[in-house]
Amino acid sequence: MIAFLALLLITPSLSAAAEPAGTLLGDESDGSRAQPNHLIELFPEDIDPTSFEFVKGDKIKPDIDESSKVLLPFSTKWTCGECHSYNIINKGWHFNAADPNVLPGRLGQPWIYFEARTATQIPLSHRRWPGTFRPEQVGLTNYEFVKIFGRHTPGGGAGEHDAEDTAQKMRQYISGKLEANCLACHNADPGQDQGGTYGYSMQVARGNFRWAAAASSGFASVTGSAEDMLDTYDPFDPFEVQSAKERQKSPPAVTYHKAAFDNENRVLFNIVREIPAKRCYYCHSNLYLSDDGQNLSDDEKTEKWATDEDVHLKAGLTCVDCHRNGLDHNIIRGYAEENMVSQNPLVTTSTCEGCHLSEGENRPQAGRLGAPVPKHPGIPPIHFEKLTCTACHSGPWPGKKAQLTKTSRAHRLGTPNVNKSDEVLPHIIAPVFAKQHGTIVGYRGRALILANGKIAPHKLLWPAFWAELVDKQVRPVALDVVRQTVGEVFANLELPQSGDWPNLSKENITSALVSLAKAIEGKAAYIAGGNLYSLDDKGEPQKQQGHPAAQPYLWPIAHDVRPAAQSLGVRRCEDCHATDSPFFFGTVTVDSPVVSDRISAKKMVEFEDLSPLYTWLFAFSFVFRPWLKVVAIGSCVILAGILLLYALKALASVAKVLAGED
Amino acid sequence: MFRTVSITSFIVVFICIIIHWIIFRPKANELFGADRRLRILDPLRFLVFLLTLLFIPQKLTLIGVLRKLVYLLALLCFVVLFITGFFSRLVLGQTISGYWLMLHATFALVFAICVAILAVMWAYNCRLNKKYWPWLQKILQQDMTDSAIPRKHELAQKLSFWLIVLLALPLILSIILSMFTFFGTHWQELLADIHRYIAVVFALAVVVHTYLMVIIQAKR
Repeated sequence: MIAFLALLLITPSLSAAAEPAGTLLGDESDGSRAQPNHLIELFPEDIDPTSFEFVKGDKIKPDIDESSKVLLPFSTKWTCGECHSYNIINKGWHFNAADPNVLPGRLGQPWIYFEARTATQIPLSHRRWPGTFRPEQVGLTNYEFVKIFGRHTPGGGAGEHDAEDTAQKMRQYISGKLEANCLACHNADPGQDQGGTYGYSMQVARGNFRWAAAASSGFASVTGSAEDMLDTYDPFDPFEVQSAKERQKSPPAVTYHKAAFDNENRVLFNIVREIPAKRCYYCHSNLYLSDDGQNLSDDEKTEKWATDEDVHLKAGLTCVDCHRNGLDHNIIRGYAEENMVSQNPLVTTSTCEGCHLSEGENRPQAGRLGAPVPKHPGIPPIHFEKLTCTACHSGPWPGKKAQLTKTSRAHRLGTPNVNKSDEVLPHIIAPVFAKQHGTIVGYRGRALILANGKIAPHKLLWPAFWAELVDKQVRPVALDVVRQTVGEVFANLELPQSGDWPNLSKENITSALVSLAKAIEGKAAYIAGGNLYSLDDKGEPQKQQGHPAAQPYLWPIAHDVRPAAQSLGVRRCEDCHATDSPFFFGTVTVDSPVVSDRISAKKMVEFEDLSPLYTWLFAFSFVFRPWLKVVAIGSCVILAGILLLYALKALASVAKVLAGED
Repeated sequence: MFRTVSITSFIVVFICIIIHWIIFRPKANELFGADRRLRILDPLRFLVFLLTLLFIPQKLTLIGVLRKLVYLLALLCFVVLFITGFFSRLVLGQTISGYWLMLHATFALVFAICVAILAVMWAYNCRLNKKYWPWLQKILQQDMTDSAIPRKHELAQKLSFWLIVLLALPLILSIILSMFTFFGTHWQELLADIHRYIAVVFALAVVVHTYLMVIIQAKR
């Protein structure tokens, strides 16, 4: 027994000794596909009282005397980091948006800051995607950005950046950093709480960044709010915590469910490598607000039972079967040109073509994971030069008009008190068939864009924001300035219960621009519905249509993938090549708070970089295609008849000669 | 590959035609008379002669007029198809698309009808009689006294006609069949390749046939 215990004690050190220098126990698999057991000790982030640096704290015991020591939330950095190289993992795609050295690749979904009161809807991203603005451009600090949008991130990124000024540093000392929350994806326990009333998203909103991962774990309860604490509050000092409570303030505090701990204060986590799709869905759900021709009521069409999932999930795959990554968490996004920007070795074989079409260099590639090899009967190969796979196979079946769409990240889906109205901001429109902007593969002073040029389904957002014109450049105005100026002017404006835009008139815009102009150095402007509004020298409003800075931001969509039998073109060519087909001639509403802008609309063909006349003529020619087939086959019959007739005559002549008759 | 093969083929055939023209061209005196003045204008005279070939002689019967009209229409369609079909591929290096494709498909329909009508109208006159095979008759020890002597290049012209008729069939079928949902991507690509390569041979056959027509008319 003693020998067994001794072996147990030395096993971790033996294992660690077997790893290469710098490699931790969990960094490299030994090849076993079995699920590793995660019965582990928890460690918090603590403060070194001498150096005042954040260090790994003592092992967490749920029943400590809180009058002498604060019970701290466990830190994923120090707990998971015991066996997994945290500082490699937190450089992965989900965490590296704020790193300027990371190439942004293909355009993706931005964070959308919206505010009905100031008629604002602006795409933000730390990644340098053309058409988006960096948070600092609208005056958002990392802390503010994380507090608003961290709810739908797995932590890390901007949440782990060091605060810049003293005031922010003091707030960050209280709230902590929002560490990469390994549990957000890898915890398969049904208790994992990302969006619950006391879960991860709520803690992020309260500024309880340090406590968020613990609150999500399912075996800890977090109360209080770091946001409510004074700048001088010390969350590591038990006296301070007690004092705050006595002041009727509710400091952030964690309580562990004691039953989750074993007699050695270890906790069993249900950690999985194969992340369940439902974990991904928390941040990656889409809700297309159309009934898909099923005559569903408004209430029904948002229900899960009324919609189908991606065909790959129904076939038994999970998200991470295609979106793979190694220790570096450099997860595959899955677009065709990703190999230009990603070091992931499986990046070329994990695209649509990778599993369904690729012939492979050394061995057959197509058919991986049971992927059927498509035949595409009757589809001319030029379609594969002009369209992405997703153009025909992904997103909802297009209707006459692109629909409003909700996403987890934009509409806070899965979190408490979500406005379930269809018209709630932000207004995302999909599917919009558009030519892809390309992939950003490098920088030489400006972004180097590898144009893909293929048409793909996109989501679209019409930006609406207040700006200043400096040297003809449009710069968004800081959000707090907008609130103080435009917000004041619009204070009495009626806001719809649905969360939709207020109805702005040109007079509203004029008075808001006048107010804004007093607070900024440049010329005040408002971007909405593809137009730029400003005041001329006489103070009269002027509208500049189709201003480059007012163009909609589009990002490609890939899911949900429909089965082959429900792809565009499966019935006939006229699924797309008809004069009224949604693919080319579907309507994209111009979304704007300005009432007079709302009557305008665009056709899909305008986003596809095609001539509308040519597209219409080409589509119209399909009316005559059956005639072409009949006439051409008729001609072939005549030609074959003539050939056969004279061939037989020639044969008859030969027979005659050979018979000695001629 | 296709670009190289087709450009090479066109260049080779055009060089052959030029060499052939240099060797076998009709003498200017035979064409325009020995007593003509301003001989420097002979190239212009030849162009005028070529233009007159497009005219419809009054002596033609109704069927003859129809035959000529259909031929001229087919020739026009061929020129349009040649330009629209090969320009994108050979000059721009792209698959035919856009307005080029629409023009190509529109004229292809008319061309298919014209080729079928011409096949019916010309086939009888383009029979390959035994007069074209004197060597065969010698082998078979047949009497050659009643065999009319064919005009120079007549055999080549008739052979090019039959080649055109023969190639028109897969040329049309390869593109029409791809419009049905019978064939997957692999076969679609194969059919497109068949169409492209046959189009090259077909175009060369038409060029040769037209050249031989001109040279025969000139000699006549």
